[in-house]
Amino acid sequence: MKKDINKSAEIKLLISRIVVYAILIFLSFLCLFFFYLMFVNSTRSNAQLQGGFTLIPRENFFKNFYNAWHDGDINIPVGMKNSFLVAILSAILTTYFSALTAYGTYVYNFKLKKIVHLFILAIMMIPSQVSAVGFIQLAFKYHLTNKLWLLVVPSIAAPAVYFYMRQYLEATLPLEMVEAARIDGSNEFRIFNEIVLPIMKPAIAVQMIFSFVGSWNNYFMPSLLLNKPEVKTVPVMIATLRSADYSKFDMGKVYMLMLMAILPVMIIYIILSKSIIKGVTSGSVKG
Amino acid sequence: MKKLLSILLALLMIFSLVGCSGKTEPEPTEEGEGSVLNLWTWNVEFWGFLEKYYADEVIDEYTLKKGDVTIKRTTYPSDNMAYQDALDAALLNQESAAADDKVDMFLAEADYIIKYTNSSATMDVSTIGVTDFSNTYKYTVEAASDANGVVKGVSFQCCPAALIYRRSIAKEVLGTDDPAEVQAALDTWEKFDAVAATAKEKGYYMVATPLDTYRVFSNNTTSAWVVDGKLNIDPAIQDWMDQAEKYMAEGYAPFASGIWDAEKTDQMYATGTSMCFFGPAWYFNFCMGNAQDPDKGCYGDWAICKGPQAHFWGGTWMLAATGTDNPTMVADIMNTFINDEEVCSKLVSEEAQFSNNQKVNNKFAADASYGNDFLGGQNDTAIFAELAKDIKFQNITPYDQGCNEGLQQYFREFLNGTVDKETAIKNFKDHMHEVYPSISVD
Amino acid sequence: MEKSKNLSKKRSISYAKWGYIFIIPFFVVYVIFTLYPQLLTIYNSFFEYYRDGLNIIGPNFVGLRNYKNLFTVNNAGYIPMIRYTLNTAILWVIGAVPQFVVAMLLALFFTSTRLNIKGQQFFKTVIYMPNLIMASAFAMLFFALFSQVGPINQMLIAMGAIDKAINFLGLKLTVRSLIGLMNFLMWFGNTTILLMAGIQGIDEALFESARLDGSSSTQVFFNITMPLLMPIFIYVFITSMIGGIQMFDVPQVLTNGKGTPDNSSTTLIMYLNNFLGVSKNYGMAGAVSVLLFIITAILSSIVFKSINSGDR
Repeated sequence: MKKDINKSAEIKLLISRIVVYAILIFLSFLCLFFFYLMFVNSTRSNAQLQGGFTLIPRENFFKNFYNAWHDGDINIPVGMKNSFLVAILSAILTTYFSALTAYGTYVYNFKLKKIVHLFILAIMMIPSQVSAVGFIQLAFKYHLTNKLWLLVVPSIAAPAVYFYMRQYLEATLPLEMVEAARIDGSNEFRIFNEIVLPIMKPAIAVQMIFSFVGSWNNYFMPSLLLNKPEVKTVPVMIATLRSADYSKFDMGKVYMLMLMAILPVMIIYIILSKSIIKGVTSGSVKG
Repeated sequence: MKKLLSILLALLMIFSLVGCSGKTEPEPTEEGEGSVLNLWTWNVEFWGFLEKYYADEVIDEYTLKKGDVTIKRTTYPSDNMAYQDALDAALLNQESAAADDKVDMFLAEADYIIKYTNSSATMDVSTIGVTDFSNTYKYTVEAASDANGVVKGVSFQCCPAALIYRRSIAKEVLGTDDPAEVQAALDTWEKFDAVAATAKEKGYYMVATPLDTYRVFSNNTTSAWVVDGKLNIDPAIQDWMDQAEKYMAEGYAPFASGIWDAEKTDQMYATGTSMCFFGPAWYFNFCMGNAQDPDKGCYGDWAICKGPQAHFWGGTWMLAATGTDNPTMVADIMNTFINDEEVCSKLVSEEAQFSNNQKVNNKFAADASYGNDFLGGQNDTAIFAELAKDIKFQNITPYDQGCNEGLQQYFREFLNGTVDKETAIKNFKDHMHEVYPSISVD
Repeated sequence: MEKSKNLSKKRSISYAKWGYIFIIPFFVVYVIFTLYPQLLTIYNSFFEYYRDGLNIIGPNFVGLRNYKNLFTVNNAGYIPMIRYTLNTAILWVIGAVPQFVVAMLLALFFTSTRLNIKGQQFFKTVIYMPNLIMASAFAMLFFALFSQVGPINQMLIAMGAIDKAINFLGLKLTVRSLIGLMNFLMWFGNTTILLMAGIQGIDEALFESARLDGSSSTQVFFNITMPLLMPIFIYVFITSMIGGIQMFDVPQVLTNGKGTPDNSSTTLIMYLNNFLGVSKNYGMAGAVSVLLFIITAILSSIVFKSINSGDR
């Protein structure tokens, strides 16, 4: 009798396991399928693409790569350079200054401390689009459109990154350590740069990755600010593929351009997927 | 330490980003005119011709030298009106800009040229020495004239557009592929529609998308898009809508796709079953890549004729910006590209352009040995030379680009069966009011 | 004792200025690049202010007229603000409902000791991946794949499922479904990971005792997991909603900014974006922004409440 129950429970478990794995495999397939199609299509010539559907890569990968890289309209090498510059600088500035601000409100006691902290939390949820109208107006007024630094500098004030850094500091930085450093005669900036920053390394790394990916993929603001080919970032260039004209008739090249646009982030992800996924939970507040 | 270095590096990069707007001091040339001529463009087509047929020296991608003057290019893409947007901002700022930063000359397209010709931002070109229009096509001068007939610029090209048809399909449908006979069978819209029915019976589509004929109708309107500040839909546009509706309902076209969409350009392969396309010389020379594909194309299986109505597509006008400090050279460039027969001949023979010099074009039209292999050896210049005389440039408003694109976009939704006709037109009107708040709609 | 207290007090006073110094960069940048533009946006919303070709119209004070326009029936027979808010909500729901259902299931699977799923790291890596894909490239990819001559139609025709290409990008239902599918793919992995962390945060002993009581897994879910997960669930749900209000890249690129067909996929931010185009209609764009701000503020206050109740 008891054995039977055990057995039927076992079968039940087996069936539910099969169902669960099937669901997981189906979802994984769904996640990969479209990107696999993109890859396959980036290896086919325009005429081959017109010929029909296939899942087998063809021989035109390098030809498409060459055509995409040397496209007269969409200068993807320049776009990648611009995107990279904006993304890396934003990542550095946003993590450094968020850590600095978090340290400022955590370690020091000053009159406005509590208000400052609450204020930053309150503005955290305001969508960046709300300031866009005034931002664009000012950019046009002061002839600052097509200036890449205008996309970089605002990242110094990132409430969500601040919030994350602040939580991390609360959890990891003993105030005694700061006291001890002071007794050693270090000045406040040196304490932050040489003692606190190394402690915050894991937090900085996680936020740098997310910030990098965020600005690499950012489309809204750049599309409003950048219209000169030589300063466009990758997402803006990719979007111009959609406003089709004759120069984009080679679909093999179009698929290749999309592949190029997402490849840098994919490479980062493949290398760092473990810590990125960990970062999702620990930094459960994402801008 | 590493971190410090990377921060330093970052700061350095920021400064290099900020610092690249350094200015050079202007040096006046001998004639007392500016040393820098700023040319604004939305692509590099004209720049390439300037490089080959006008400049003395190429400095880099953005800079040319002619005598003592440096010619600089500022380019914005025309997508989403980025070019007009940036140009408008620069022209609004023209007065306060330094002499060498002022816009000296800029290019404009037919769709929006009137915005500039009817403003004080452009100059009467006769005052700087461009007066001989005896060889240019009439519509190119009309297009560049303001409301009082003052000429504000010139076009270096003329873009009469033709009906481009597949020879092999025409043979099956009409029994002939001879351009003169095909033209005779298609010279009115009634005949065109009748042939469409025949084509369908034989298993072919008349056009690859009903949107292909839009330009032919919109170039032949009798009233403007905006009359007394109010949106107005011309009878010719109504005719197009009726035709498009009919073509989709009857199956004379495979898809109601956009004119650049893959669905349509796929029809240019040898496997395509659409008979007629519409476009000027640049269209079949540069935009019919699928037809020229070595494996799947149908090179040589094409020919052109006038079609039901004369029309044009494109054209690039050079305009002189008020406040230029290089009037002599601006005039010289304009004269070179309309009246220098050697340069105009080269545009035709080497660049596959249809020049804006009738004398030169007629020379090629009369040359029996001149022919285009893509068109099975047909002399396209001869057809265009005839066509160009019938082109009209009238009923133009500054809002035409938005109106033409908007109508096609919203009407397409009806053609695709998403909304009814009335809703499509209502959506279009509402969109116009959103884009151009100053236009009223009913 | 007294002395040391004094000392530490003195110390903290003498270091206070460093607190201000360290937060200066943040606030300088915030005021110049965010706060000032925000105030300007609000200010603009009370003015008629746009560009008409080479002419600039305004700024002329018009009071609440811009807001009134947003809530007035237009030529096409609908109220813009209502219509686009609804569009945005519908597009969000189409993606979010499957996103939360699937994510909840996966989170339960992954945390179930009974099922003991192998290869968790692999599955998590794969399902989170679309979250990092450039949304504009993803949308462009879908545009290419689902065009009338694209691979999906080719595949369906080859399989014999359909005999004439489906116009995926021309039909209301399919366009909205595609946008929902993309949003689902981009976010369900992220949601799974967050909910998983929430479930793992629940004291294991509670599950243990429930099992000893003989509760079924359904009972455990409704009596223990869900109530204890609630604060985190609400937090994830509302942040997803706030993200939904900001939906832009995917529908913008998929429909080339047109919200086709019949404006049925025009989101609030796309509507805002249209005003920032050629007409530079700062007045109307300002009014839309202010309304966006109000909607977000309401939702954010709910988040705050859920975080605070979670603390308790």
